[in-house]
Amino acid sequence: MRTGPSAVLGRSEAADAPPRGAASASKRGGPKTAWAAHTALLPMGATVLIAYVASILWTLRISLSNSKMLPRNDWAGVAQYVNLFESDRWLTALANIGLFGLVFIAGAVVLGFLLAVFIDQKVRLEGVFRTIYLYSFSISFVACGVIWQWMFNPTLGIQRSLRSWGWESARFDWIATQDMAIYCVVIAVLWHSAGLVMAILLAGLRGIDDELWKAARIEGVPRWRYYLNIVLPQLGPSLGTAVVLLAVSVVKLFDAVVAMTNGGPGDATDVPTKFIIDNLFERQNIGLASAASVTMLVTVVIIVAPMVYARSRANAAAGRA
Amino acid sequence: MTIAASPGNTLSPRPRRAFFTPARLGVYFFLVSAALFFLLPLYVMGITSIKPMTEIREGNIFALPLAITFEPWAQAWSSACTGLECNGISVGFWNSVRILIPSLVLSVLLGSINGYALAYWRVKWAGWFFGVLMLGAFIPYPVMLYPLVRMFASVNMFQSIPNIVLIHTFFGMPIMTLLFRNYYSSLPIELFKAARIDGGSFWRIYFQLMLPMSLPIFVVALILQTTGIWNDFLLGLIFAGRENYPMTVQLNNIINSTQGEKLYNVNMAATLLASMVPLVVYFVSGRWFVRGIAAGAVKG
Amino acid sequence: MKAPARSLLAALIASFGLASPALAQKAEVIHWWTSGGESAAVKQLAEAYTKAGGQWVDNAIAGGDNARAAALNRIAGGNPPTASQFNTSKQYHELIEAGLLNNVDEVAAKEGWEQWMPTPIKNVIKVQGHYYAVPVNIHSAAWFWYSKAVLAKAGVTEPKTEAEFWTALDKIKASGQIGFAQSGTLSYERATFTAVLLHMGGRDLYMKFYGDKDINAVKSPEFRTVLEKFKKLRTYADPGVAGRNWNDTTALLVTDKAGFQTVGDWAKGEFLSAGKTAGKEFGCFAGWGPKAPYMVSGDVFVLPKTSNKEAIAAQQLMAKVITSPATQVAFNAKKGSIPIRPDVDASGMDICAQAGVTALKDPARQTPDPSMLMAPDLFGKVADVITKVWNTDLKPEDAQTQLVAAIGAK
Repeated sequence: MRTGPSAVLGRSEAADAPPRGAASASKRGGPKTAWAAHTALLPMGATVLIAYVASILWTLRISLSNSKMLPRNDWAGVAQYVNLFESDRWLTALANIGLFGLVFIAGAVVLGFLLAVFIDQKVRLEGVFRTIYLYSFSISFVACGVIWQWMFNPTLGIQRSLRSWGWESARFDWIATQDMAIYCVVIAVLWHSAGLVMAILLAGLRGIDDELWKAARIEGVPRWRYYLNIVLPQLGPSLGTAVVLLAVSVVKLFDAVVAMTNGGPGDATDVPTKFIIDNLFERQNIGLASAASVTMLVTVVIIVAPMVYARSRANAAAGRA
Repeated sequence: MTIAASPGNTLSPRPRRAFFTPARLGVYFFLVSAALFFLLPLYVMGITSIKPMTEIREGNIFALPLAITFEPWAQAWSSACTGLECNGISVGFWNSVRILIPSLVLSVLLGSINGYALAYWRVKWAGWFFGVLMLGAFIPYPVMLYPLVRMFASVNMFQSIPNIVLIHTFFGMPIMTLLFRNYYSSLPIELFKAARIDGGSFWRIYFQLMLPMSLPIFVVALILQTTGIWNDFLLGLIFAGRENYPMTVQLNNIINSTQGEKLYNVNMAATLLASMVPLVVYFVSGRWFVRGIAAGAVKG
Repeated sequence: MKAPARSLLAALIASFGLASPALAQKAEVIHWWTSGGESAAVKQLAEAYTKAGGQWVDNAIAGGDNARAAALNRIAGGNPPTASQFNTSKQYHELIEAGLLNNVDEVAAKEGWEQWMPTPIKNVIKVQGHYYAVPVNIHSAAWFWYSKAVLAKAGVTEPKTEAEFWTALDKIKASGQIGFAQSGTLSYERATFTAVLLHMGGRDLYMKFYGDKDINAVKSPEFRTVLEKFKKLRTYADPGVAGRNWNDTTALLVTDKAGFQTVGDWAKGEFLSAGKTAGKEFGCFAGWGPKAPYMVSGDVFVLPKTSNKEAIAAQQLMAKVITSPATQVAFNAKKGSIPIRPDVDASGMDICAQAGVTALKDPARQTPDPSMLMAPDLFGKVADVITKVWNTDLKPEDAQTQLVAAIGAK
């Protein structure tokens, strides 16, 4: 039975891990049995090379050119990158997505965890609750943006309703203000995606042995303590998956923003992917869009690399590959 | 603190009155409040979809309809104009299904195989490739369009069902692989070791040990991919070919027309109709969110 | 593409002397006209094309960016549509430069485009001496619309000068109604600014900015005044501006909640579908005075390059049919725009369209739309600055500086 905390993003360390050596070697296929693994991974290899490496290299090449609507074979040095960082709009978009990312990921993890834990309490109508929380994920981002835009709109939505029900001076026009509009987007996307976090964490929860709770009870551990100090660490891999999924949707945030605020008011809710797509299509400046994409990628690498490095160090220390 | 109310306690029957403890009520209060938050937009979508346009133009978005009409639903499904054709979103329904099924099978299967291989087997280059794959997950699709278009055109596959299925597989691979790899990593290693000692090969272990244990995560993968593929618009628009346009293309034509009056009731009805398939998948998948499949295997 | 096989088959059949119906020229057309009114208009084109012996294969994709992206990727993938919609602008000029479009010189010569096509349009469809696009209509963006009821309640009539316009706004505001309805989206904030620039700053300043990208014009005090007037309009707008679509904004006029809006003549459709009549419940004017500049924009079809004889024949037929007088009248009546030909009967049009036709007859009034003058990239950067002027407390002087920087950047 597993005890103890698991490492970030992947492995659980068993207190009773076997010593290195023969046991590990037989766990990992020796050289002759690894062929099956190699062939099984060929589709992944092909995908990476064909779809991703080729596209990334192409994007890099275009970012060093003067391409407007169509790709051009010329060289512009780092001009596009200079343009990029001289662009007020780009810098604002970066700031916006940073703030959005922090608030949204924290919010989604907390909300998803709470939903999963509470649903796990053998409640009645669990299926109903679960479907209610999850269904919003099936609604496209565009529809999500439209509905929340209505609700946040001071003349159409909540503010208007509050006023018509008697609360004359009610104010809820966040979406029209520079400072608060981004939080409206946070709420809308939380509504959309928290259910998925719940599903992932629930799957993880369901993989945790019931015996663990019984043992904890015998020790006299209160239920909330059990969840915080024993379950949460065990959910490491699930949390890792959830965080990565959330991070991906943060970086790619586009449809919801366009449907809700179109980057406005002004550029208060402008986000990097919108900047990229606007330049790819409407503004016919794929050189600039490519430079922006490369910049985003590099930023992701910079943020993620230390975490991956730390994890592989931890794994190596624990005797796993 | 609230041990009396613990549902995990199977040693003694729970006294009936324990149901109404503060903790229990607290649980339900939270769940119901959350449910209201999640249901509010659905409520707005629903009542908007059954109101006539006059009420929508003049009225309150939260107000119940004075005159209920299901016209918008009928229109959305079969008679809304999406260009010259006025056949609603039903036109693309089967195309969406034809695109969904192979893409789903391929992307989830490959994801699970990749995850299994990455979690348990040492393949030198796999780590780096997985890293690039994960990096690729952060790139917005439109950035990758042009090279992919050229590539598929060069092998004469451009704009076909196989094209869009491969595209969905490509774009689904990072998240699917991550999902399964993390899940398999969290399973007890003893199971794998025992199977190896028993003489299990790569594939035998996969089919006989891993797959049966992966039900909850397959459900999550199913949910993710069904939603992503079913709701996809841009990739289907570019890669499927005009005869194979998925339902989202008609949906976009109904909802995002640039000029002319927006028929909000039809738009909402169309949106709800379009989300039916993923919704059904979520509902049906519920029964597999059961406890103890992996845990049970560890006992003893 | 199955066309080569088909033409072989046709040749075989013909060689046997078998009676076969003339193979209809198949034209697959990508466009973004998907709303009810737009579809009715496209139907006119399709029917006319079918009557002329062609077969119209409709590929409607909502959203200009989506439709153009689809067309571009089709061209890149070697499977181009027969025709594809763009705006009458510089959007497709790179396609011309890359040699990816077929020209329509033949049809242009036969129809005499050189003689009667309005100059702003001619300038963007004729490149290096060849005609590369088929204009379908003429839209005009800088119109003013107003609700007669709202103005009546405030005790004003249609303003005949700029001064009267500001007075009217004040009176409407005083009467407790919304003076100016604005759509809080990037392109419509820019559109309002453009209308203010054109009608209050004057055609010269407008052309210097959009056409010549003249930095001195941008730095001038006149330009600053335009920015200030633009900002002043905000004080007459309602709080629900943020993110509101243009058609929801027009709905405010239709339901007599707001007084004025500046938006293109595509707004007419909103009034018409609510059963309102021009001149009765709502009014329109495109600037003040008989010499007011009239902005010209519209839609065109471009014909992606192909050497396939059948496709070329289909393209030429399309060009001919679309620009023929009967089709022009039928299409534009449904679309709310104006025919590109001056030789059509304007008596059936409503008073706004007729005013437009009259304005067009005077070449001095024809003014190119900004998208005909500025590349999409720079045009977008202008919008980025303008939206900040509208939404934040960015001072006009700073906006001027930022616009100068945008123009200067490569």
